[in-house]
Amino acid sequence: MDYWAKGCGLPRGGWYSVGVVALFIVLPFVYGNHDLLFNMMMYLALAQGINVLFGFTGYLPFGYVGFFGSGAYGASLAVLLLHLPPVLALLVGAVIAVLLALLLAPLLRLSGAYFAIASLAASEVVYYIVSNPHLESLTQGPYGISLARAYDADASYAAMVVVLALAFGVVVYLRNSHLGLALQAIREEPVSAEFAGVNVVRERTCAWLLSAALAGLAGGTYAWHVSVFYPKSVFDLNISVFAIVFTLFGGVATLLGPIVGTLLLYGLYNWIGISQPEYFQLVFGIVIVMLVLFLPNGLASLLRRVNVHVP
Amino acid sequence: MIAYTLLAGLLFGLYFSLVAVGLNLVFGVMRLINLAHGDFLMLGAFLAYGLYTAAGVNPVYAIPAEIVAFVLAGIALYYAVVPRLLSSRDPEMLSFILLFGLSQIIEALAVIAFGNDQRAIPATVFGARPVTVFGQTFPAAWVVSGVVSAAAILAVYLYLYRSRLGYATRAVMASRDEAASTGINVHRVSAIALGVGLALAAVAGAFSPFMLGSIEPDMGIRITTVSFAVIVIGSLGNPLGTVLGGLVYGLGLMLMETYFPSWADMLPYVLLILILLIRPSGLLGQRVRLA
Amino acid sequence: MSIRPLLRFWLFAVAVLSVAFFGSTAVQAAPMPKEIRIGTLYADSGPFAVSSQSQLQGLEFWVDHVNREGGVYVKAYGRKLPVKLIAYNDRSSTTTAATLYNQLITQDHVNILAADFGSVLTSVAVPIAQEHKMLLFDQTGTGANFFTNDNPYIVLTSLPTSGIWPYALADFLKTQKQIKRAALLYATNDFTGSQAQTLRRRLQGSHVKLVFDHGVATSTSSYALLLHNVQAARPDAVIEFGFPNNDIAFLHDLQASGMKFNMVFTIFPGQLFALMEKSVGDQTLAYTYTYPTPPLLVYNKVNYGMGLNDFQQEFRQANGKDPNFLNIAGFNTGLVIQKTLQTAARLDQLALRRSIVAFSGRLHTLNGTFKIDHITGAQIGENLPVGQFIPGKHALTVRMLYPPDLATGKPVYPAP
Repeated sequence: MDYWAKGCGLPRGGWYSVGVVALFIVLPFVYGNHDLLFNMMMYLALAQGINVLFGFTGYLPFGYVGFFGSGAYGASLAVLLLHLPPVLALLVGAVIAVLLALLLAPLLRLSGAYFAIASLAASEVVYYIVSNPHLESLTQGPYGISLARAYDADASYAAMVVVLALAFGVVVYLRNSHLGLALQAIREEPVSAEFAGVNVVRERTCAWLLSAALAGLAGGTYAWHVSVFYPKSVFDLNISVFAIVFTLFGGVATLLGPIVGTLLLYGLYNWIGISQPEYFQLVFGIVIVMLVLFLPNGLASLLRRVNVHVP
Repeated sequence: MIAYTLLAGLLFGLYFSLVAVGLNLVFGVMRLINLAHGDFLMLGAFLAYGLYTAAGVNPVYAIPAEIVAFVLAGIALYYAVVPRLLSSRDPEMLSFILLFGLSQIIEALAVIAFGNDQRAIPATVFGARPVTVFGQTFPAAWVVSGVVSAAAILAVYLYLYRSRLGYATRAVMASRDEAASTGINVHRVSAIALGVGLALAAVAGAFSPFMLGSIEPDMGIRITTVSFAVIVIGSLGNPLGTVLGGLVYGLGLMLMETYFPSWADMLPYVLLILILLIRPSGLLGQRVRLA
Repeated sequence: MSIRPLLRFWLFAVAVLSVAFFGSTAVQAAPMPKEIRIGTLYADSGPFAVSSQSQLQGLEFWVDHVNREGGVYVKAYGRKLPVKLIAYNDRSSTTTAATLYNQLITQDHVNILAADFGSVLTSVAVPIAQEHKMLLFDQTGTGANFFTNDNPYIVLTSLPTSGIWPYALADFLKTQKQIKRAALLYATNDFTGSQAQTLRRRLQGSHVKLVFDHGVATSTSSYALLLHNVQAARPDAVIEFGFPNNDIAFLHDLQASGMKFNMVFTIFPGQLFALMEKSVGDQTLAYTYTYPTPPLLVYNKVNYGMGLNDFQQEFRQANGKDPNFLNIAGFNTGLVIQKTLQTAARLDQLALRRSIVAFSGRLHTLNGTFKIDHITGAQIGENLPVGQFIPGKHALTVRMLYPPDLATGKPVYPAP
């Protein structure tokens, strides 16, 4: 099979990613609330991170925010303790998140719901360690981080654009590569995939680390952008929940699903949040229940039903 | 000091067994993890709080109301979603996500209905005097909660091992298909088990103001995780194994709170991960593969 | 693969984007002197909801009050202008709050920016306000690290910075010869952590020895075992610093345990008396110590705005309930804004700050003396005294103990 679409400089789905990224480069010039744009990009990137793991391997990481938080803390401490420039510090954040993922790789032995709960527990453990008052000299404990010196709203916005592009890049690559195919084979039929010569453990771990790296980068960039935060705000379970629901809503294992899911639901969140604030969690819960009962493969499956290919 | 800690651990252990046993019963019968377990406990807590503030009802006397309300709720919930889920492609994962959605809905409705004030039932409802047990002095509410928990666990035992319904329930736990082929009405048995599971959570909720601190609508997910840790430590799918899990957890928690208080909050999560990785079948029970 | 469905999908995505971004926000014209726009946030859910809503209610009360009188006098325009309050709900989430502060500044072009309740929800506003060169009227965010020498865009209106809260408490303890051993139990967050630090420092070298000194997570809701440890240290006085939920749990467990200490101090009975009374009961609060704030504490030297009595009366009429401290804090923010607009020659943000510095120390409201540190903007007036709840015939009353100029009696020590 030819993975790279013919007669076109980019692989399938590539143009959509370029379009969305370009939009976020242009929008700040015509729309003033850059924080809204920033958060939108952050959730787009996180949703793709969830997509890499859940969409391609079937592991649902409830504790995904653990990587986000460790990226935020890794990057912040690199700025505060090692005095690194923020851009390098972001990479440190990603490395910390990947190291954490390596440490937690044995969790991949668990399946389904066990993995989901165990990963949630793992993110809580990281939270309690980071926020422990005994580690105040290292992490500031529960008192939170202040990066006032490194604060740069425009540069951190630009960094998030890059993170977003990377997240899209990873998914486009998975959609069009051997690794992606192998992962999906594992998801559908783990045993026969193994017989067919797919190294199940290695490929899974690969997706796990990629997904963690994306969350770590997003977390570090978020830390840089807000510059003042508390452990609770970067280890907030809602961050996982949002990213997971956006992904499920749009449709997993596609590039466009999580994009459309995030734009619609996060748009709705801000729309309701800015004018009529109540009832959002309720709507969210109902969306989840309805999805499971009537549309377990997300919006994308609606299009597939009418034979439209969704990249 | 150590005697006090151990006795407190025992009381809390019994209480945590009650908190978690419903989750384990539901898992045993339906093989699904009720992510909304903690939210039902929260609703039970609000029911007890409502009865106390409206009519001065002592939480002990609120128990019958809790049982009736939540058994019915559980049966209704079962017929609304479970048969449909069990017939789907990936029932375990889908039910997990669906119950998560349900947990969000319950939490949101609770916020809308009760607001965000933290509520408490004064501990003096069980008498203002602390109670002395084996020379150690405890708040009366702890002792009452411990006793109620022990009684509830005993009731679960009688239900499972000394009644015909329990016999059928255990048959469903062993194998849904075989139970169906011997003429057991699997849906009816499972629906009742879900009702009993929720009712046990609700009864635990009535005592949560004394054992877990103040009641608030968003306490659910934390309690679900702790309950899951307790049943994993005991043995998944074996309701009575929960007692062992509860005691290990309760004693561990009290020892941590006494000697390393700032690390105590981490305990359930660390235990959960360790047990899942090292001995997934729990401290009791045979080895089973979860992967 | 046909291109048309894809194209349609793409158009769909763009449409979604446009709705998400532009549908929600009307384009606002450049500021016209038709009204003064004040932007703020509140939380209707989450851990800060109770306090935040009270604070907003106080600010709204001020807005209604000035608008009934034809608006607020704005020196920059030489006339009265009506006030329009724009308040968004951040649901206690810092991420949402950041977006909304940005919304207030960049989309609604507010003239005055006021923060939500408390340090956590104020924290994200500090860099955003500085970035956009907006003066942040920080109402109750007392975190010490907000106030730095290089940021002129913040002023703390209604509470002193948390590090100075225990000054009177420490001095009071030092005057009590019978208190030799004290236990300190605090929640580890900016607000109470910094108070613990100050108390520790101020008691050093005095006759009061800290025999127990322990921080717990802010989420702690059970103190029974900790109290057991405290009792083992045999203190004369037990000082517990926490948020309302901590204080409630602490007092609750203290009562249930049946333990008696000669002196027990907690923060929030003095600020949220009605809530604390409802949660733990008069019996538990009797003879405990606290920082009394208005309305428990009456400042007689008011030279600006209503006095406490008038305020209580009008507030009761408007809202059908008695005001609590945070209502007063929100109202006080309104008063500071009002005074600022009355005295600032221009509406630019640094001019506002300069006029605040000019009246700092000379503004006496029902919330005490408004005085800021001229460099950092931190509040250093509005000191918190020490008082004790004394059971009266029908209800608890507060006896002021320290400082001497506010004192109305002697402490009942040891507590019966």
